[in-house]
Amino acid sequence: MRLALAEIRRAKVRFGLLTGAVGLLVFLILFQQSLAGTLLGTFIGGLEHQSAEVVVFGGDARRAVEGSRVTPEQVAATGSVPGVRATGPIGVSTFTARAGSEPVDATVFGYELGGPGTPTTLSAGRLPQADGEAVASAADAPDGFDIGATVSILPGDVPITIVGLADDLNFNVQPTMFVSYSTYEQLVLTTNPDARGVLPSLVGAELVPGADPVKVADAINRAVQGADAVDRATAVDSLPGVSAIQQSFSIILGLAFVVVVLLTGFFFLIITVQKLQALTLLRAVGASGRYLLGNLVLQVVLVIGVGTLLAVGLLLAAASAASTDVFEVRVEPAVVGITATSILVLGLVAAIGSMRRIARIEPASATARPTGGGLA
Amino acid sequence: MRLGWRELVRRPGRFLTAGAALTLITLLLLVLGGILDRLIAASTGVLRAQSAPLIAFSADSRDSLNRSRVSAAQLEDIRAVEGVREATGFGVALLAAHVPGQEEPADAALFGYEAANRRVPAPPDRAQVYADRSLEDQGVALGQRLELGPARIPVEVVGWVEDTSYNLQDGLWAEPETWREALSSSLPDAALADGAFQVGLVTPRAGADPAAVADAVERAMPGFVVRTIDEAIAAIPGVEQQESVFGAIIFVTFAVAGLVVALFFALLTIERTGLLGVLKAVGASSGQLASALTFQALMIAAGALGIGGGLALGLERLIRDTVPIAIDPARFAFTAVGLVVTALVGGALSFRRLIRIDPASAVGGA
Repeated sequence: MRLALAEIRRAKVRFGLLTGAVGLLVFLILFQQSLAGTLLGTFIGGLEHQSAEVVVFGGDARRAVEGSRVTPEQVAATGSVPGVRATGPIGVSTFTARAGSEPVDATVFGYELGGPGTPTTLSAGRLPQADGEAVASAADAPDGFDIGATVSILPGDVPITIVGLADDLNFNVQPTMFVSYSTYEQLVLTTNPDARGVLPSLVGAELVPGADPVKVADAINRAVQGADAVDRATAVDSLPGVSAIQQSFSIILGLAFVVVVLLTGFFFLIITVQKLQALTLLRAVGASGRYLLGNLVLQVVLVIGVGTLLAVGLLLAAASAASTDVFEVRVEPAVVGITATSILVLGLVAAIGSMRRIARIEPASATARPTGGGLA
Repeated sequence: MRLGWRELVRRPGRFLTAGAALTLITLLLLVLGGILDRLIAASTGVLRAQSAPLIAFSADSRDSLNRSRVSAAQLEDIRAVEGVREATGFGVALLAAHVPGQEEPADAALFGYEAANRRVPAPPDRAQVYADRSLEDQGVALGQRLELGPARIPVEVVGWVEDTSYNLQDGLWAEPETWREALSSSLPDAALADGAFQVGLVTPRAGADPAAVADAVERAMPGFVVRTIDEAIAAIPGVEQQESVFGAIIFVTFAVAGLVVALFFALLTIERTGLLGVLKAVGASSGQLASALTFQALMIAAGALGIGGGLALGLERLIRDTVPIAIDPARFAFTAVGLVVTALVGGALSFRRLIRIDPASAVGGA
């Protein structure tokens, strides 16, 4: 392996530039993943991190939470389906909230306290125990949603006191609060005096221990007319825009992966072709094919490994710089690890072309070289 | 130039790495931009269709169509403001539209409106709608009877309109009573009083300054804010986030493209230092060598644009049924300009290295 390291030492600029290019491209991938993860997380958190294992939409809602309305009869009928332990109405709507100095858009989830719809990621304070109290998304604590703060819902100036914070609770990329269902009803009627009533957006269902959410959802769909029941994970994946975001980013990331792999593959192919005469001579004087391949693999691993480290450093800096009031870009170590490993494996796959060139070297052809001691 | 061109022709393999990387980056940029443009277009068509340049929202709505309210009396008050030629009511209800023969309902945005705009004629009769042509993909046809929302309010499709989507849902345009009935029966908590709308569309008198008219309306109606169409578009949920996320990725991708070009030409210059020294020794100036390099950077960018553009258009056709994407000429032009600029800047980063090459090294290094 000394040969690989010696070559890198002697061609620092060449390998440094390639490592830089790989690092930038890996950074591009990691940056996109972080943005996509953050965007999706703040889009779905409220629904994902509440206690109802099965969620029932209105049959007409096309699984859009804010467009869904269910009737009290549907709430009651869901409770009688085998496998369901508890049901309750969940209301979801966006309101104008004054938190701190400026009004902001905020999503409010209303649920029966202690029932389905309870936030599951409480990180500070406590859950609401009375009307007018709320658990807020922890990410928005610095913006007027911290414990002890009073948020006013406009118009009507209905006050909500924040008594707890929960992680990953944002919904629709907005500050999010979970309040009692009667508080939710009050907010709807105060902000729209012309409302002809308040229907829940969803039915939340908690299940008996061991019940399969998918099977219970099917049973609810059979038993409750006009209901569209799904398990929580399916509900999250079905939210309008989620699949479009996931598919879009999958394509974008796929293309970025291809760029990295091709760049690495081309580079090593070019330098292998440029070195073919020297490599042939090495084979002729006794270096084994396995030895030369090992050197190539080590160089690929070093270039991608150091490039990835560079990318992680850039990512940490960019995540801090790109985080805005709209949303905070977060770096997930697991995602970084999986991506780095994937890039390394794919980089080695991309180097197969170079490996084949080395494996096909015929040591005897060194004697035909016009320079370097050949006989031709 | 000639030197750069000859090298490109005689040794195309030397430029393959940079060309392939830039082609894929071009593809990436066009796909990114195409997705962004489609997402924004499908969210904002209804506002871009308006001929009224101003929209009056209730102040507490934070420019949200769904949360804004304007009563019939308030619309009258807006009409009475100095400089206002017309103020008409407008509102939206996001509903499922049940299409005959289709198992799944279509996602639709039902608009209630009082006056024709740039893309939609004057309101049809009661229980009739103009439908956005994109609904054809969901089985909607002229003369068909759709049923709206859980209350199954029946409406007949009497004409097509273009590019009027809102919030990724395709537009249906109805007169106010039909819209109000569908809204209150499907979403009782969002119901409005008779004659009320969500916003007022304000058209200033000929020659009046829209900004001055907006100020006058806000002064006369303290509970309202008046926005331009562009401001209202920016306030649509998701538009700002999508633009900021995709904009950041596109910016970083351009930066990576520039750095790939810079790194490639730096590598190429290092590899050819001896050759470039010989060229300088026989009279080539640094300017000529820099021109050749710039020309090569431009040619690589042009080739990447051609091939990457073709690939992007092919990919768009393949995925447009599942992924929202539309690559239009403006996006292509933006990407082309951006790529050429980044290629030029990236190539220029090797100029210093070129200039520092000593012609004497051609002798010394021999």
